[in-house]
Amino acid sequence: MKKTLAIVFLVFLFAVQFMNSYAIQRFPKPEFESGYVQPETLLPNPRAEMLAILDIAVLIISLSVVSWLVIKKRNRNAVFWMSVFALAYFGFYREGCVCSIGSIQNVTLAIFDTSYLIPLSAIIFFMAPLVYTAFFGRTFCAAVCPFGAIQDLVAFSPQKLGSRLNAVLGVIPYIYLGLAVLYAATGTDFIICRYDPFVGIWRLDASFGMFIFGGILLVVGIFIARPYCRFLCPYGVLLNWTSRFSRKHITITPAECIQCRLCENSCPYDAIEMPVTTKNPEDKGTMARKLIFITILIPILMLAGGWVGSRLHEPLASVNAKVRLAKQILNPVTEKNQPETFEIEAFKSAGKQQSQAFAEASVVLHKFYIGSWILGGFIGLVFGGLIAGRMMTKHRTDYTPNKGTCLSCVRCVDYCPVKLPK
Amino acid sequence: MKQKIIIISAIILLLTLVAFMVKDFFFSKPDNTNPYKFELDDLRKGDTAKAVFTETLQFKTGLEEIHGIAIDLENQIYVAGKEGVEIFNSAGKTLYKINTRSTPQSISVNGNGYILLGIQDHIEIWNRDGKQIARWNSCGPEAVITSIAVQGNNVFAADAGQKVVYRYDKQGKLLNKIGLKDPATSVPGFIIPSPYFDLGISKDGNLWVVNPGRHSFEKYTFDGALLISWSKASMAMEGFCGCCNPSNFAFLNDSLFVTSEKGIERVKIYNTDGTFMAIVATPYQFEAGTKGLDLAVDKQNRILVLDPVKKLIRIFQQK
Ligand code: SF4
Ligand code: SF4
Repeated sequence: MKKTLAIVFLVFLFAVQFMNSYAIQRFPKPEFESGYVQPETLLPNPRAEMLAILDIAVLIISLSVVSWLVIKKRNRNAVFWMSVFALAYFGFYREGCVCSIGSIQNVTLAIFDTSYLIPLSAIIFFMAPLVYTAFFGRTFCAAVCPFGAIQDLVAFSPQKLGSRLNAVLGVIPYIYLGLAVLYAATGTDFIICRYDPFVGIWRLDASFGMFIFGGILLVVGIFIARPYCRFLCPYGVLLNWTSRFSRKHITITPAECIQCRLCENSCPYDAIEMPVTTKNPEDKGTMARKLIFITILIPILMLAGGWVGSRLHEPLASVNAKVRLAKQILNPVTEKNQPETFEIEAFKSAGKQQSQAFAEASVVLHKFYIGSWILGGFIGLVFGGLIAGRMMTKHRTDYTPNKGTCLSCVRCVDYCPVKLPK
Repeated sequence: MKQKIIIISAIILLLTLVAFMVKDFFFSKPDNTNPYKFELDDLRKGDTAKAVFTETLQFKTGLEEIHGIAIDLENQIYVAGKEGVEIFNSAGKTLYKINTRSTPQSISVNGNGYILLGIQDHIEIWNRDGKQIARWNSCGPEAVITSIAVQGNNVFAADAGQKVVYRYDKQGKLLNKIGLKDPATSVPGFIIPSPYFDLGISKDGNLWVVNPGRHSFEKYTFDGALLISWSKASMAMEGFCGCCNPSNFAFLNDSLFVTSEKGIERVKIYNTDGTFMAIVATPYQFEAGTKGLDLAVDKQNRILVLDPVKKLIRIFQQK
């Protein structure tokens, strides 16, 4: 039933999107003398404050209900219907805005640019899921985030990727997060929004390129469940970190794990960790050597990453409008038949001095220099953490969800034969 | 095995998406076009099968600006421009030059070889020797005479400023006004947002006036009764578009309409019922932004196009 519903929904979505992709422009013939009165130009009103408060209320209520359903009720069906609601409300009704993932950029920009007035809803959409995650795990991802919800709908045939592949691909969101913060902090771009694969679907107006982008992601999602969540989502990184320290978290079994292995393959996101019973526990000397190695390796990787990043600060800054303008002024397009760029035209008509453009660009470049050091260092740290994680032997007796990567979807719970007496 | 292929394909697709993002963000060339500019390029293209005319001759005039063109019964070409009129033979050789002191916006020649010039708000009559024969009364402070045509004893003048056509006798006496909006007689009134307003007499002696804001041609009796009209509003090559087009027109010897437009600069031919017949000149043959492509047709059915930007008289003939 759910599957059929999902298929009908997707076919409808793609049909609407496809029509939009081929829409053409036209303008009506002007009217001058038929008594037609030109309407006054009206600017759309800002969204009513009440509605913004409603969004916040819906977010908080959804988070509370889903957390309760996950932790207390352990009810997959109810969680599924909550995710359908999230898709309808935060996806199609609110058209994907404001969204927690994108709010990373609002918060960053607000920190680095004091002239930017961040909306209250953006702060709450950024903070609330993190706070709930700190208490209950990633219940936001389970059924409140519309990105997760739409991907969940298509996860028909999820395949296991293996821990190595998961770990390697799992680095991408960290890099994406680092870049998103760098570009937001320098006031360059909101890249998370620029490459939001689903916003065109929520608004039913995707450009052809983004329609294909979102479409491919959903097709990939049939076999690799929630590919955006696991291998792209920058907010997922923050949730992952927070969730590791969550006070409560979904467990597969409500009581003792009886090692029946029934849940072993139940997680579509490869988030279940197998029991690790080391027969020969490592001796203290090996442990200490590993620890020393990691303590030396991580700063080296961070320094190396920072250095590489700083070398790349100019290419990274080349997409900044101020830097691009300065570059264009320095090397005007000389190709035949190439019109002067739109930016230069606008710059000239604004009557600004060239020196002013260069000064503004050099301020931005300096920011990028520092930002690229930090970004490189951060990526070095991520790689260091990855290596450390694989080197350190863990000890686990039960099948448990990985608190960082588990999306609290409650699927695995149904596989566990251990039930609490009602 | 099958599972492995699925996983590998899905991962390749996923990495392709990441590569697309990287390429699009860092390596795609910034779009230099003005995003707010209305793009007309696609509309400049037409069916090549309909492009059956070719440019056979072009010549320059000695006038600093050129505004109007006319042909007399001897097939001589009259060009009105800055403070003068220049007369050419049909091969483009200058025969006469007249200094008119003021600058005419429109020109016509009557059967006696007199030159009728629309100069701002009034009509002047000159002969080829450069002598002013008459100066008719002003049509009003807002008048702009953009077109003149002669038929027997009648002179018709199009006034873009006051959106009306005047009918005079040969002596310049105003006989009646044509085209004023009148719902009782279904005269729609001329819609003229820019100073391009043309009229002409067809080979069978009928008065036709362009109603550019309606993208239409209207046929009137000399008393001002509207007989018929046809209109062709379309963004495609087959029609007229923008605020007000066509800007000018003339009649071929078989009474087909030759029209010219601004915005999308082009010259085309229409049947008497408004059916699109052929392309004479495409937008690619004019400088972008050319306006006021006045037209005339000579005895050999050659189409003369006045190109005010290139300051050329350009002659087109069927291939
Ligand atoms: S990982 Fe990101 S996209 Fe996926 S559900 Fe969580 S916040 Fe949403
Ligand atoms: S709740 Fe279970 S099935 Fe769902 S993501 Fe977590 S471990 Fe996987």
